[in-house]
Amino acid sequence: MQAEVILTGIGGQGVQLCAKALAMAAVAEGREALLSSHYGGEMRGGQTEASVVVADAGLRSLPILPSTWSAFVMHPAHWAPVAAKLRPGGVVVANADLVAGELLALDGVGNDLVGNDLVGNDLVGNDLVGNDLVGNDLVGDDGATSGCARVLVAAESIAGELGAPMAAGFVLLGAYASATGMVGTASLVAAMRDLVPPYRAQHVEANERAIVAGAAAVAPGSHPVWTAVTA
Amino acid sequence: MPASLMQGSAAVAEAAVAAGCRFFAGYPMLPFTDLLEHMARRLPEVGGVCMNAESEIEGVNMVLGAAAAGARAATGSCGQGIALMQEAVAEAALNEVPFVVFNMARGQQDYFQATRGGGWGDYRTITLAPADVGEAVEHTQLLFHLADRYRAPTVLYGDYLVAHTHMGVEVEQRDLGPLPDKDWALDGTRGGTGRSRQIWTWAMGRTDAPGPGPDAHWRRLADKFDGIAATEARSAQHRTDDAEHLIVSFGTSAPFVDHVVDELRADGHRIGSFRPVTLWPFPEAALAATVAAGPCAQVLVFEVNAGQMIDDVRLAVAGRAPVRPIGGVSIDGSGMRQGALLSAAAIRDRVLAAIEEVPSP
Repeated sequence: MQAEVILTGIGGQGVQLCAKALAMAAVAEGREALLSSHYGGEMRGGQTEASVVVADAGLRSLPILPSTWSAFVMHPAHWAPVAAKLRPGGVVVANADLVAGELLALDGVGNDLVGNDLVGNDLVGNDLVGNDLVGNDLVGDDGATSGCARVLVAAESIAGELGAPMAAGFVLLGAYASATGMVGTASLVAAMRDLVPPYRAQHVEANERAIVAGAAAVAPGSHPVWTAVTA
Repeated sequence: MPASLMQGSAAVAEAAVAAGCRFFAGYPMLPFTDLLEHMARRLPEVGGVCMNAESEIEGVNMVLGAAAAGARAATGSCGQGIALMQEAVAEAALNEVPFVVFNMARGQQDYFQATRGGGWGDYRTITLAPADVGEAVEHTQLLFHLADRYRAPTVLYGDYLVAHTHMGVEVEQRDLGPLPDKDWALDGTRGGTGRSRQIWTWAMGRTDAPGPGPDAHWRRLADKFDGIAATEARSAQHRTDDAEHLIVSFGTSAPFVDHVVDELRADGHRIGSFRPVTLWPFPEAALAATVAAGPCAQVLVFEVNAGQMIDDVRLAVAGRAPVRPIGGVSIDGSGMRQGALLSAAAIRDRVLAAIEEVPSP
């Protein structure tokens, strides 16, 4: 079995760190992983994207994915080409604070459903924007994201409440891992601890709280990767 | 137990260390910078030296000096920085000083630079173009071996996808066979007897000990490069049996082409792919044999540049089938890697369009 996720955002949101933590956690759990990162010369604000492929064994994948089972969306700026690669039956885990409107706009659905005032923690933090609210068929006119499930998480709001606004990416990562079961929360925390360099050690505890809070914000295993994906 | 997750640059650095590289010098430039950083961390741990030079020119000349003293040494950059190094690479080729140049290129536009010499004089550089990180590890060790075997600078043609992709890799020291002694090395072992040695292009020697002279020197070098061309070409093929359409690509483009070949085979197209693993020497004989053996109606060349390798493909195919470009210039917005053309979907579209319109012979 093999499954992919494309992570997209803008520089400064921690997308590359999240992708590496996910890939390292998968390897720590005995799986194979491939991580392909893509970012420009800028540190902040530019396009940043990463692909993680996880397999039980015999991983075989192009470093630039032709298609993906899932997406992790921190920012809408570079989301459109990722949306075009989503396969039906996949899942999108998105930072509702920034992305919800874009997701729905792409799908030809009005923004009012998940407007900013509706995307507080109460509504979205608990994965209320699953199939019930948004429906199973958030299909774009081109059908690109046909049949993909949505998990919208107010990652920045949750990170803000934790006093760790920089850790919003880890909130979304915790949510992604919990909803899909791609890796365990403990493995993610361990990978994050390995990755954060000594001079950033002061952020480790906040990052851990963010991962745990993200995992708690969604229904565990609501969109399981290892049963949904076939090799 | 899966292999540990390693960035391509780290894996190449480990492979270089495993191959015995103990001197590295370079100047940072994406996407090469990570390799320099890994070498800076690893070489001191194994008793080696890594210098962050003040420029590419200084870096390559440091490497020339270390290699002339007998060390396994390497430098690198992307094509822009390697352009600056060409004089030293040419001197090394003509003076027979072995080292490895890592081109972590920003795309596929350095094919001519890698395969045509680049400096002055009659020389070539053995150039390996890995398809992925795993192969880059193999190639790195092989390039140090070939450099020493032939006393010549060699080139790894990598890119962003090689340098920045993380995957499970195991780096093991490979035994590639015996090598000649470096009895030419300027390592001080003559004990200050005053019998200085020269490594000098014209090979004139000294008045009291004349060398073979420039004519003999150049002829010997030409024979050496002819010998390399005849014996060191490497290639790979994918589903070429019965292929009516043959796609030629190199480096990290090749897995994308192979992916498209598999897709189109599933749709009933008789299509295959051919990859030069060594860009120089270009595997002319293997490509010619592949074209001659099958019902090849056309050869399609996919390279992410304005058309460079296609010259070598045309020379090898030599009119046995039409040769058509299906690649082109495509640069990512960051300028650091290939753009949108390097995708399975884009390649598939171009291949399908070419299949629909096979030119008449």
